[in-house]
Parts: sequence; structure tokens; C-alpha cells
Amino acid sequence: MARVKITNVKKIYSGNVVAVHDFNLDIADKEFIVFVGPSGCGKSTTLRMVAGLEDISEGTVEIDGEVVNDLQPKDRHISMVFQNYALYPHLTVYENMAFPLRLDKNIRHYELSEEERAADEKKLAELQKDPVKNAKKIAQVEEELEKGKAVKGYTNDQIYEKVTSAAKVLGITQYLTRKPKALSGGQRQRVAIGRAMVKDCKVFLMDEPLSNLDAKLRNQMRAEIILLRKRINTTFIYVTHDQTEAMTLGDRIVCMKDGYIMQVGTPTELFDMPANLFVAQFIGAPMMNTIKTNLYSKGGKYFVKVFGHELEVTGEKGEMLKKRNTPDREINLGVRPEHITFARDKGSNSFPVTIEVNEMMGSEYHLHVVTEDGTKLVVRIPTINLSESEREGMVMGNKINVTFEGKAMHFFDLETERNILVDQENAPEIK
Amino acid sequence: MKQYSDLELLRLSRSQKFGYKVGLFFKRIPLWFKNLGIKIWGFIKGIGLGIFNWFKTIIMTFIQGDWKTKVSYFVMGFGSIARGQILRGIIFALFEVVFILYMVFFGGHYLSRLYILGEVESAVDAESGTIVYGENSFNILLYGVLTLFFIVAFIYTWNLNIKQNRISEQIIKDNKKLETAQDDLRAMVDKEFHKTLLAIPTIGILIFTVLPIFFMILVAFTNYDANHTPPLNLFGWVGWDNWAQLFTWTNSDGASFSMTFGQILLWTLIWAFFATFSNYFIGMLIAMLINKKGIKLKKLWRTVLVFSIAIPQFISLLFVSNMFKTDGIINGILGTHIDFWGNAILARITVIVINLWIGVPYLMLVVTGILMNIPADLYESANIDGANPWQQYSKITLPYMLFITGPYLLTSFTGNMNNFNVIYLLTGGGPNVQEYYGNAGKTDLLITWLFSLAVNDSNYKLAAVIGIMVFIVVAVLSLVVYNIIPSTRNEEEFQ
Amino acid sequence: MEKKPKMVSMSKRRRTVNIISYITLALISIVWILPFIFLLLKSFDVGNPGVTGYVFPEQWGFDNYIYLFSAETNFLQWYFNTFIIALFVCVIQTAMQFMMSYVLSRFRFKLRKPLMNIMLVLGMFPGFLTMIVLYQILKTFGLTGDNAVPGLILVYCASSGMGYYVSKGFLDTLPKSLDEAALVDGATRAQIFIKVILPLCKPILIYTVLTSFMGPWGDFVFAYTVSLGSQAGMNVAAGLNSWLSAANIGAHFAHFCAGGVIVAIPVMVLFLFLQKYYVEGVTGGAVKG
Repeated sequence: MARVKITNVKKIYSGNVVAVHDFNLDIADKEFIVFVGPSGCGKSTTLRMVAGLEDISEGTVEIDGEVVNDLQPKDRHISMVFQNYALYPHLTVYENMAFPLRLDKNIRHYELSEEERAADEKKLAELQKDPVKNAKKIAQVEEELEKGKAVKGYTNDQIYEKVTSAAKVLGITQYLTRKPKALSGGQRQRVAIGRAMVKDCKVFLMDEPLSNLDAKLRNQMRAEIILLRKRINTTFIYVTHDQTEAMTLGDRIVCMKDGYIMQVGTPTELFDMPANLFVAQFIGAPMMNTIKTNLYSKGGKYFVKVFGHELEVTGEKGEMLKKRNTPDREINLGVRPEHITFARDKGSNSFPVTIEVNEMMGSEYHLHVVTEDGTKLVVRIPTINLSESEREGMVMGNKINVTFEGKAMHFFDLETERNILVDQENAPEIK
Repeated sequence: MKQYSDLELLRLSRSQKFGYKVGLFFKRIPLWFKNLGIKIWGFIKGIGLGIFNWFKTIIMTFIQGDWKTKVSYFVMGFGSIARGQILRGIIFALFEVVFILYMVFFGGHYLSRLYILGEVESAVDAESGTIVYGENSFNILLYGVLTLFFIVAFIYTWNLNIKQNRISEQIIKDNKKLETAQDDLRAMVDKEFHKTLLAIPTIGILIFTVLPIFFMILVAFTNYDANHTPPLNLFGWVGWDNWAQLFTWTNSDGASFSMTFGQILLWTLIWAFFATFSNYFIGMLIAMLINKKGIKLKKLWRTVLVFSIAIPQFISLLFVSNMFKTDGIINGILGTHIDFWGNAILARITVIVINLWIGVPYLMLVVTGILMNIPADLYESANIDGANPWQQYSKITLPYMLFITGPYLLTSFTGNMNNFNVIYLLTGGGPNVQEYYGNAGKTDLLITWLFSLAVNDSNYKLAAVIGIMVFIVVAVLSLVVYNIIPSTRNEEEFQ
Repeated sequence: MEKKPKMVSMSKRRRTVNIISYITLALISIVWILPFIFLLLKSFDVGNPGVTGYVFPEQWGFDNYIYLFSAETNFLQWYFNTFIIALFVCVIQTAMQFMMSYVLSRFRFKLRKPLMNIMLVLGMFPGFLTMIVLYQILKTFGLTGDNAVPGLILVYCASSGMGYYVSKGFLDTLPKSLDEAALVDGATRAQIFIKVILPLCKPILIYTVLTSFMGPWGDFVFAYTVSLGSQAGMNVAAGLNSWLSAANIGAHFAHFCAGGVIVAIPVMVLFLFLQKYYVEGVTGGAVKG
């Protein structure tokens, strides 16, 4: 249970390849942080620097107020789950989970029982008859009375207790005597989590733990990690390339690209107010559409020109534009596919598109469409509201009308690709 | 020459492509040499710069260091002891004491005689008639070299001692805690565990491989032979005289060394070529035969072949050698009197054939492993495309095998060049011929010749020359081949 | 109707191909086995102790074997020497190779590449070049002649770190995340080596032990040089070879064959039991070389 503070951390490999640029993040106690980004964005490297598996080229990592740069992984009070599970193949599940406990040689204090306390006090009285000669022993007994009984490492009983209770939580009790080879992918993943769980740790690190599982298991394990988090209640750092995992698990998400942090925020913040086009397109599926167009004000209201129509920017975005007194400018307009809706009648704000590809997803269609001026868009249309004939109309080559609302728009600078509504003075160059 | 893009290259016929690639290869040679030059220059520059920087830091540390550091320049480990790192300090100091004692009582003398390898000859004492031994050139050379090694080790340790001082000063300045002896011991099994593990193996290599090789390289520049054998006789430096023999074509007393060397080198290469590739292809053939679909008792066939690996070579080879004698079993069965080992060409063919018997089982195992790794769908797809068995072999199996086994072929080629056992135990190098220098025979490889020169003739100087030449041939060959074959893969790839 | 005859011809063809294959394999097997049969037969030949041209001896008997164990020869001494050497060598050599390969596979330090390159270059020098010097060094410490056994152990083991290639190839295939997991779990590097890596190396460990155990049984050159002139210090290879000199072969060839059988049997038994590991080591080593 600890705060993790990462300050100006850089990772430079030999040959001046910079994997992580100037990473700053303050992770609160018991927070669940997700690092997300495409492969090679430096998210795993950052995690591994926190774990101590990778040297920190510059900057500091603090865990619970202590700078851990020079500490060995084992001295950082961390637990880690690896992508490929990293179970010891020659050990049984039980021994795998007991491994960190058996290696732990730290001294722990346990409360004395009544009899022990009485015995100690009696001994102390005995010793105090000659306080000079017995000074060392007296100090020893006094410390035991004060702090409790000092025990180095764990006893076999304690290990058994810890391992079996963790196994029970994860539902792997019946596999404890098996070797990892005899387990399925999902079961191995549970063992890996179990091994990390039994350890006393301040920070729980997970490096793409679900990416080796098939889609169905992944969904199931994702839900279990949410439950697990409630139970363990410690600081989590979770690395993934999957935006769904990031959105569902994270208290806050750190979205990364090419070694830079693109945005840090809650899932809602990232979805509703992406700092730049990269984040906007990385979060959410299918990807956000962009339309190059003009943003201009007219009579205190803001409009964008879309395929011959004037669409008013409404809602929160409209207010913000007004408040900032944004000048007229060219922008990249971003609209999420789910915010483009099917227009039954050719209303004033709808525009015709031609269907190129129709992907039937069951509950919805993903339509790849082309507008009259050649812009390609993706549209998500729920099937439930469509009539039989309308569904039949959703075929390749057919024309339909679509529209979208003013409150669902995002505005990005053409040059920097930054969201013009988010202040970001120190933000890195994206391209 | 016209430059083609990769895409244009696709339109050329096979012969055109080959011609183009050969042309390209020759065109690149100057560039290759240029790059080599740049690399060598960079290497030299790097060393020069390294030495310069080293001197600079040594001097700067002295100037900037406190008095404890300054004293450590002369009394190793002083700084460490003064700062409370007793264990480290004692080890440093102990090393210095040992070094000084060694130099004063032992190494110094040998080092000072190294330039001449001794002058005092052994002589027979006129009165008692006993031999009074003079200086021992062998010991002077050996211990002289050892002393040089020791000096290098001392400089390294001395530098380490200075570095320790510098680091300790910095730590104290930063108000951090110095490592205690306990920390040091703990690091030995943790952070510095690799040093602990490497200590014994590298010392072993240093004393039992590097030192002897260094010694023998130096012997190639002396006249150490049957007439100059310590302790009775001295030997001395002769410069490049032994090497000049490599290029002197005539020799007053019969066979010339250079001619023999050339002939034996040629045979060594021919032998290595045939031994490697005959084993390779026949081994592959047998492996494919055993692995063929529908063949039963695969394990039995394999075990029968592997049997021959299990029996120590000296037994099987010596026995087979006798089987092929004029009165041996082979002639007995055939009812002939063929002198397999007496005729040069017949002997050479026979060793290559018998080598198959030794090498094929091994190759068969190697190939089996790789064959099983070739994805079966490649063959299935080839079947659908209508490839016949031969096409499947030449278009799928062979290229795959060659790619994977490229480095292995290279090592087995160089291994065969030095295949002492097969030649020595089968023929002993024979048949020996007059026109060869130093009792060499027609099937002698450089390595067996080296052995008989050293052991039978005590001609150490020329044995050393041959040894170095073998190294040069192997090194050049490896360097060239490694730059050509495509399968020199990145070792990190597997991890 | 059209298809049927074609199918028959195909299966017929396959059958002929298989028959040819079996015949070839049988012939190959015979060629490979035959010399051992000859060796075995010769070892029971009590009629003529020299090299002979016949396959089946005229007089059978165990005399050659009895001779080996009689006081006339030092065969038992040689055998014992070789066994002791092999025992020590297989332990020490395996340890050295694993120390080296573990370090080179798992640690990244400044001198790693130079170290590997130096060992590569050293390996290109013919091994016998060092023989003359090693003999002198051993002689200085009195480890030649009658005391050749410890001397030979030293020679075989001292540089064995250079043969790290095969075991490193295997270690490289073990995922690095195992080490990392153990590191996070609180293990020191030494504990990782002993508790995690070594147990996983069982197949290649057995391979290394097997090959290093077999080495001393077949080595002739060093054993001959180091034990020069001493019957008591020889190993079987040097000893048996002395029976095949031009002067001795007429009287001792059959003894040599009997000795060869005795030497080959334990090694062969060991080999047949551990064949699986040997095959794994050979195939793995060649591919990853």
C-alpha cells in the first residue's frame, strides 16, 4: 500500500535509442493505474523500471517515499505478474506460489500469547537481578515484550495457510499438486496471479497479463481482476495494449506513444476529452473518424461545415469554444462511429453516403461508407431500431443518409493534432 | 554495371541473377576492405583513446583525491582500510605483497633474461664428470611470459584499487553509506554473481590455454628443436627465420619444408571438404530414409547407428585400421592382398570412406532434429502444387537445411581440418614418402604433422609455425564464410 | 472404375519403395554393426593373437580376457585410472561449462562480448599446440608419468569453460522472465541459478555429463604425452595403443580386442540408457551452435 512517484524518468539504451522520454507520474495509494499504448511505446519498459528489472537511465522512482533506483527488485516490495506467466516449470503449483515466501527472510513480529508474555516477564525479573551483566539479554526480552515475537521468514504452516487461502480465492485449489505443464492457459494465469498475491507487497505490477489468453477467457479474467483488486486493495500498475482492458480496469489511464505520455486521465476523460488525435483514435473501437473542415463562429454560436451542411456545435463543447473565444480556423473534426446515426428521412443535417462494406456484428452494423466528396467514414448503427426493409437496405453499393449531433464533436489542430479545447503547454511533439 | 532494384531483380532469369550477384559481390570487395580498414582504424583509435583517458583519470584522481587516495597509489588498499572497508583493503594489500615478493624472488629474474633466453650453457664438470646445468631457456621463456601476465594482472588490480578510492570518495561526498564487507560478500552471490562464477573457468583458461598459446607463438620465433633442447642446450631468438622456411622452395638436405607444407595444406583442405560434405549428404539421406512415412522400427535403425558413437573412437578406429591391412579381415573376405594403407590415393580414399562410418551417425542425429522442425504444411502445400519428391527435396528440404546448418557446416569443416583422431589412428599419417619433409606422410593433416614433428622429432619451432598457420587458415575461412552465409542470427532472438 | 487401378498401382509403388528402403536400411545397419561383430569374434580367438584375415576364429576361448585380468598386464590399472579420470572430469567439466554458459546467457556486462570473442579465437588454435607447455607445467608440479591421473584431470578440466556453446544454446531458450520472476520473488542470482535454472537444465546437464564422461575413455594424445613412459599412469587408450606398436601387435592384437570390448561395454550401456538426452543435446547444439 503505497504511493508511487515517478519523476523525470528516462530510459536510454546503448546507441542512444530513447525508449522512454521524461516520464512523470504520481500514483496515489491504492490507485489502479493502467499504462496503455501500441507495442514499442515504452509502457512495459516503464513498468520494468519500476520493478527494477531495467536500469533507470535518468530520473527517480519512489515507492512509499523511498527512492528505489538503486534497490534490487526484491527489496522494492513489489509483486509482478508476467505476460507469459513465468511459472517455474519444475515446481508444482503449490511450490510455485510458496517460492517467494520461502525466500523471504525478513524478520516479522507476532503478538505474544498470554503464557509467552508471562514467561518473558518472569525471565525479565530474573535477569534484572544483575542488570549490568545481563544488559544485552534484558534488551532482547524487552524488545520482544514491546514489539512481539520476532520470527525470521515464514514457517511451513504459515506458508500453507497463505498459499491455500490464495488458491481458494482463485479457484485453483484442486491443481495445487500439479505442475504448470498440466494446466490450461487460464489456470496458469491464475497461478501466476496467486504467486504475486501471497507476497506482502506495496505495489502490484502486471505486464500484459491477459494477452496470452483467448478472447473469451480474457473477458472472464478481466472481471476477476476487478474482483481481485477489491480484495487485495493495494496500488496496481497494469500494462496492456488493449484499450478495452484499460477502460474497464483503470482508475486512471496513462496513454503512451513512442516513449512519450500522450495523456493521463480517467477513462471518461480520455474518451470524452482526448488530448490529441492519437488518444482519440486509440481509445474506442472502431477508430474515431476525422474530417478536415472549417470551424467558425456566427452570432455567438460555433459551426462546422460538413459535406455541404452547417452543423452547430452544441453541448459542453460549444460552451467551451464560446468561453475560449476560439477564432475561426481549419481543424480536423473527430466524430466517433457510434455517434454517427442513421437518418431515416433526408433531414436538413443529414448527408448521403454510399456503403462500401457492411460488417454485421449482431447487435450492430459497422458500415464503412464513402461520402459524396470521397471521405471515408465508419459508422456504427445498432440493429435493434431498424426495420426489416431498412436492414435489407444496408448492402454494398446502396446509399443511405446519416447524421451526427453537435455535442459529439472533437476538434484537433491540423498541425499538432492536439485537441484545441485542452490546454497542453508542455505536451510533447506527437509526430 | 547496371544497378537493379529488388523488384527489377525478380524479372531476371536464374543465370542472369547469378551473374548479377557475382558481379555485385566483386564490386563490393573494395567497399568491404574500406569498411574493414575503418573498423581496424576505429579499433586502434579506440584503444589509443582508452589509454589516454585512462591516464587522464588516473592523474586527475591523484590530483583531486584526498590523502588516503594518494597513499593508495603506493600502498594498495590503504584508502579502503582507512575508510573502514577492511576486507577489500586487506585483499588489495595482500595482492601487492604477493606481487612484490613474486617479482623480487622469482619473476624479476626471468623477465630480465627474457630478451636473450639465457647465455650460460650447460657444461661437463672436468673434475667430477657430472653435468653442471646452465640456464634453462624453456623456463626463462615460460616464466617470463607468466611474469608478463602477472604484471598485467597487477596493473589491472592497481587500477581497480584507484577506482575504488574514487568511488568511495564520491559516496562519502554524497553522504551515502559505503559498502561493508557483508555487502561485498552478499554481492558476490547476487549482483556480482557472474564474477564469482567466471573466476575459476577464466583462470583455468588463462593458465592452461592462453599462456601456452602465447608461449608457442613465441617459440615460432626461436630455434627450439632437437638440437636446442633444455636443460642441456640453450635456445634463442631467431626472428623470422622459421617463417622464411615457409617460403624457401629449395632445401639442401632433400625435401623442403615449404613444399611439404603446401602439399599437406592442400590435402587438409581436400580432406575437410570431402569429410564434411560426404558426411552431410549421406547423413541427410539416411536420416530422411529413417524418417520416411511408413518406415517402421525407426528407433531401432537409429539406435544401431548411434551404437558406433558410443564406442570410444580409439578402439573402433584402431580395429578398423587393422581390418584394412594387407593381412586383415577385408582382404581375407575378398581373398585379395590390396595394400590399402600403402598406396597414397587408395589410402586417402579409404580414410574418407571410413570417416563416413564415424561421422554419419552423428550427422544423422543432427539432421533428424532439424527435419522434424520443418513445418509439415510446407510439404503438403508443395504436394498440392505438384512438386515431385526430388523437387520437394531440392526446393524445400535442402535450402532449409543449409540455412539452419550453415554455421554448423563451417564448424564441422574446421573441425575436420583438425580431425586428429581419424587420421592418426587409421594411418598414422602414412604412407610416408621421401619427398616430404620431416617424415610426413600422404594422409597427414597439418595437425597430425604438427604432432609428429613435436613428439617424434622434437622440432618444436616448426610445430609452432604450423600451429599458427592452422589458426590463420581457420580464422580467415571462418571470417569469410561467416560474412557470406545468411544464417548468422542474432543470439538475443531466442530470448 | 477408372480410379481403382491407379490406386492399386500407387500402393504397389509405395510398397516397392518401402521394400527398397528396408533393404537399404538393413544393409546400412549391417555395415555399421559388422566391425563390432568382428571385434567381438576376434576377442575370443585364442589360436592366433595377431592380425588375421578370417572372420570366425578356429579356436575359441576366454584366454584373452583372462590375460587382461592377470598380473602380466597393467590393464586393470589403466581401467581404474580412466574411470577415476572420467569420474572427476564429468563433474568438474560440467560445473565449469555451466558456470560459463549461465553467465554468458544471463548476464550482460561490459566484458561479455570480448570474452566470447577471445574464446572463439582461442578455439581456432589447434589444441595440441598447448601440449608441450602443459607437459612442462605438469612436470614442474610432479604430475606426469606415474602421477599422470591428477595431471590429466587438470588438463581436461582447466580450459573446459571454453566448451560452453551447447549448454548456452540451451540456456538461451529458457525464457528470461523466469529469472525476472525469481528476482521479483526475492531470490539472489545464486539462488536463481541453483533453484530455478539448474533444475530446468536436466536434459542438457545429462548430455554434458555423458559427453565429458566419455571423453577421457577415448583420449589418446594427452594421455599418451602426460603419462609418457609410465605404465602406471596410462589410461586405457594409451595403454591399449601400446599393444598395437609394430613390435607388440603380433602377440597382442587379440588382447587389444578383448580390452576394447571391456572398455566399450560400460560406456555403451550408459549411452544406451541416456541416448534420449544425447540426441537432444546433439540436435539442439547443432541448430543453436
